[in-house]
Amino acid sequence: MTYLDHGATSFPKLPEVRRAVHKALERCANPGRGGYGAAMEAAKTVYGCREAAAKLFECAPEQVVFTANCTHGLNIAIETLVKPGSRVVVSGFEHNAVTRPLYARKVGLTVAGRRLFDWADTLDSFAAALKKGADAAVFTHVSNVFGYILPVEEMAALCRSAGVPFILDAAQSAGVLPVSLKKLGADYIAMPGHKGLLGPQGAGILLCGSLPKPLLHGGTGSASRLQEMPDFLPDRAEAGTLNVPGIAGLAAGIRYVSQEGTAAIARRERRQARYCAEALKNRGFRVFSGEHQGGTVSFVGKTDCEELAAALAQQGIAVRSGLHCAPLAHESAGTLDTGTVRVSFGYNACDAQTRQFLQGLDGVRA
Amino acid sequence: MMTGFITFRSVTFAQRGETVLRRGNIGCSLQRTPRWMEEQGCGYCLRLKLADAKEALRLLRQQQVDFRKVYRRKEDGSVEEMVP
Repeated sequence: MTYLDHGATSFPKLPEVRRAVHKALERCANPGRGGYGAAMEAAKTVYGCREAAAKLFECAPEQVVFTANCTHGLNIAIETLVKPGSRVVVSGFEHNAVTRPLYARKVGLTVAGRRLFDWADTLDSFAAALKKGADAAVFTHVSNVFGYILPVEEMAALCRSAGVPFILDAAQSAGVLPVSLKKLGADYIAMPGHKGLLGPQGAGILLCGSLPKPLLHGGTGSASRLQEMPDFLPDRAEAGTLNVPGIAGLAAGIRYVSQEGTAAIARRERRQARYCAEALKNRGFRVFSGEHQGGTVSFVGKTDCEELAAALAQQGIAVRSGLHCAPLAHESAGTLDTGTVRVSFGYNACDAQTRQFLQGLDGVRA
Repeated sequence: MMTGFITFRSVTFAQRGETVLRRGNIGCSLQRTPRWMEEQGCGYCLRLKLADAKEALRLLRQQQVDFRKVYRRKEDGSVEEMVP
């Protein structure tokens, strides 16, 4: 199989990630709950991941909260900052992980910046929306559909100068682009552990710049006499037993990313995305590409996107089709009715993958 | 040898403290906090030589690692809270 769906999850998982998960299953009990060897081994494993993530994302270890996934982290952050009826600014490329929790709170939503790959439009629209008044802003770092890298440092600066708290959705950027809690000054940054950070599914991270409101209430192994959730991180947002095997695998993934360097991974992905986009254009497809694009390319042909992806799957090519859980992004790009076929490269991006994809595509079209 | 205990609100803070002390060449061991030392119930502490306690507290403060209380075990086996 030629796997080009890294926007959904990294695959195949690295041998060191699989080994770390296996080791945790064999050796780890419940972290932060006991003082015996297996509990302390679990605590050591979890803290090792916290430290590795803190180093990569420039924050203190306790600011790293483990979640089940990016959506979980976004829900904690939104629950904390957004009250029902709040005025919230989002970009035109948000995932349902952002828009559905906001919709559920019946917020006054302003969508700012809908032109793909156009930083001037994104920033002008965003600044204008903040000027009208906002209680919070939530924006993605990279569009999961089109690979558009938003100017998040500038957007963060706009929020800070307007005094608007903000949440960054780093679902597609963590492990690939620089993400710094310290530099961005974000209130919250949510990310999955299984995409660019190369861990297994079921472990995500929420970086906390401020104290979150708990979404789950329960045992934390600390301050047990109190019925309120602890007023300190990370315990405040980590009720219940952590996914220790998942976190162990995530730590191995973060170590790989840190050793390899996010810049090197991003360079490989972008090179293939450009190669792929040009080749698709030459074959007559409508391709969404431009400056400020990461390792993801979406395209539309005459064939229905789902049928084309299914035909590619028959050729051993794994890509994703449809709306990618991001109808807002498709609405912005004018592809809400057709959907797109998405090719997304990952840590192992190389020429051979792109060639195999193009051969598969030519086989389908022949 | 007299022993000191530095208590923390959670295992994460205790682990951060452990890292700081080890980097400062202060030997310590991470363990559960004896129940009577932790009025909020459940916590972790670092056990170390009492002679190292002053330097340990200086390092923890310097690295902004929150700790709760400091105790010492005297030679007769009794334990008392110290004013850090």
